Amino acid sequence: MSEAIRPPARSGSSDLLDDFEGNNLKIGGFDVFERLWHLFISMRTGLALIFAIALCSFVGTMVAQVPQGMAEDKTAYAVWVDGLRPKYGGWTNIFDALGFYGVFSSWYYRGLVVLLSTSILACSINRAPKLWKQATNPRIAMSPGFYQHAALRASLTVPATLEQAQVAVQAQFKHGGYRTIVATSGSGVDIYADKFRWGPFGTVFAHLSIIAIILGAIAGSAGFRDTAFVAPVGSKVAVGNGTNLSIQATSFNDAYYESGQPADYVSHLVLFDGSNQVMEADVRVNQPMRYGDVSFYQSFFGGAAAVRVTDASGAVLYDQGVPLQFQSQSGSETIGQLFLPDRDLAIYVVTPASGRVDSTIKTGQLQFEVYKGTAQTMIGTQVVGPGKPVQIGDLTYTFVREQRFTGLIVARDPGANFVWLGAFLLVFGVGLVFFFPNRRIWARVRQGEDGTVIEAGALTRHDVMFEAAFAKLVTDVKLGLAGPSAS
Amino acid sequence: MFKMSEYAFIASVLALSLALLCYIVAFVSARMGMARMQLAGAGGPSISTPGAGWASALATYGTLIVWLSFIFVSASLVFRTIALGHGPFANMYEFSVAFSWGTLGAYLYFERKYHLRTLGLIALPIALAMQGYALYLAATLPTTSDPLVPALQNNLLLSVHVAVAIVAYGTFSVAFGAALLYLIQPAEGRRGLPKPEILDEISYRAVIVGYPFLTLTIVLGAVWAEQAWGTYWGWDPKETASLVTWLIYGAYLHARVVRGWTGRRAAWLLMLGFGATLFTYFGNYFFGGLHSYAGLDQ
Repeated sequence: MSEAIRPPARSGSSDLLDDFEGNNLKIGGFDVFERLWHLFISMRTGLALIFAIALCSFVGTMVAQVPQGMAEDKTAYAVWVDGLRPKYGGWTNIFDALGFYGVFSSWYYRGLVVLLSTSILACSINRAPKLWKQATNPRIAMSPGFYQHAALRASLTVPATLEQAQVAVQAQFKHGGYRTIVATSGSGVDIYADKFRWGPFGTVFAHLSIIAIILGAIAGSAGFRDTAFVAPVGSKVAVGNGTNLSIQATSFNDAYYESGQPADYVSHLVLFDGSNQVMEADVRVNQPMRYGDVSFYQSFFGGAAAVRVTDASGAVLYDQGVPLQFQSQSGSETIGQLFLPDRDLAIYVVTPASGRVDSTIKTGQLQFEVYKGTAQTMIGTQVVGPGKPVQIGDLTYTFVREQRFTGLIVARDPGANFVWLGAFLLVFGVGLVFFFPNRRIWARVRQGEDGTVIEAGALTRHDVMFEAAFAKLVTDVKLGLAGPSAS
Repeated sequence: MFKMSEYAFIASVLALSLALLCYIVAFVSARMGMARMQLAGAGGPSISTPGAGWASALATYGTLIVWLSFIFVSASLVFRTIALGHGPFANMYEFSVAFSWGTLGAYLYFERKYHLRTLGLIALPIALAMQGYALYLAATLPTTSDPLVPALQNNLLLSVHVAVAIVAYGTFSVAFGAALLYLIQPAEGRRGLPKPEILDEISYRAVIVGYPFLTLTIVLGAVWAEQAWGTYWGWDPKETASLVTWLIYGAYLHARVVRGWTGRRAAWLLMLGFGATLFTYFGNYFFGGLHSYAGLDQ
């Protein structure tokens, strides 16, 4: 971003298509576009936006944020907010009204990000041509006043010819790693020297990188992120979300250290594209499986029940694992659910929770509860042991065996590459601008009354390293040309 | 190796305490000497200027002892790295030792460059406070580290992500120290303390070293989060706090470079920035989130 600099007024333009200045939108005598432009390239605006985003982010850090997807479910959201009352007391509803529970998806946060992006873009557009000119076509000759008032300046009178002095100055610049550009005029020689002239472009890269990251995040919303993908071991589960993929977990293992801390969670996954097996891998935390632009991450795990459902003719309607993902309110049972849409049935399978003895269901047994239709009319319920078929309604249900499920995050993020490009540009740009600072020194050589006068000046102040380098350059020039008197 | 790491750390704490004592005594002596000379109509030295007799010698020894402390704490980290097989950055004890290392390293770098030992009067207490905090944790918790939980089992990113953060934190400590020394002076400066404009410059130089490292910390964190948590950015409180810190230092750089905010306004921004740094660092205690394994669950 850069300071707002008002461009000089244009005059004498006559090109009908090139000059719309006279037709700019004016409200109350103000040129709206020009005002907006100056507003967005103003550093004051940029700073205000940065502080506003920092403040909102701070609020989002301190105040509990609603889990993803819950805000859309009004009932679940209300229950979640009620759970916060012991913590926030009378502030609970005020925070809710201010949108503090969903700061990062709030309209004002998004608005601030859009405004900051616009400001960054405007500043980059405003600044890049100036940087380009400075790097490729710098001003070589400075006025005498510059050499009298520059933050860093030096003046030497040396007993050498103008050419010798020029050669000596250029040689020292070259020795110091500077590029030099020389302009000769009737009054003498002007020398411009610079180092790391592309360094300032780091600001452009860094600023545009933020735009790339924001665009990447927006593009990412065209993908999907299923954080609750459950695959019972042995069952084949469709990934959905517009893909033709399905996953079969052939095993899940968890290991622990002696202290009881988890050591490893690993699922062996087989991936199918249509009916073709396309991949097979162990997936761990920190070791995802990637197929094309879809990634599979190990996330959670739990118990499952292998269940078979058949009709009166013996036809198999369901033969898969049912993940026991939910808990009863008392916590004494784990519950899974499966649906048979063709039969308009919802079946709940209930088992005693691990380590709990207060359930009415005995360890090793499973309870089937079968409901019909949207009204959830119960058809029947039965408790069974493994391998024993039971009849509920007109279907036969079998609890085949206990098994486990692995919980995965499955995601496709079409914007991720933009984000990584932006991240790379950000590090590159910030590193370039700060670790390769642009150094610029002007010098001029003139014939004086007592010899040849060399003057040098630079704009940087309070930079000890540069001051030392500048002083060394001056000393080396002085030593290189015998018998000078310096001032 | 764990024992050697502990011994080296204790040696570092003792050396740092001694060094700080040297600095304080040297500074107070120099100030008193200066006051006497003022009464006699002459200027006086600070601990940053040589030639103040035994006070200056004491300050010189103090710097040597800081180097010794830095070497000891470096050795402590190396021993622990060898013992663990990864960077020793998996719990608050290890973070705190590393934080003190970053602060000492940054202080010594800027002390060599600017020859301003007075900066140590702020930077060394920060490093010592971190070491004291680590000692407190070591006294209340076992000092041998548990094996890594699955989320942390990425030796390369664990080591690099946190090591880079420690460099940023260390340089921000120095920036804070210089800004604080700036703020406690009147506009025209105070005799015996470094010139305000030099402190302003040191703050700026420290931030322009630290800022790229903080940027890299966040980017590496995003890379790791994508592998371990399935998303490069999840608004986890710790990562959001680091974003807030990054924004504040970014605002400082823009304000200083483009709007010419130097002096007190810039120094106050650095106070805010360091507050955000500490907030991010200690955040594990009060905002939980996915980084909560890095808390006191050693």
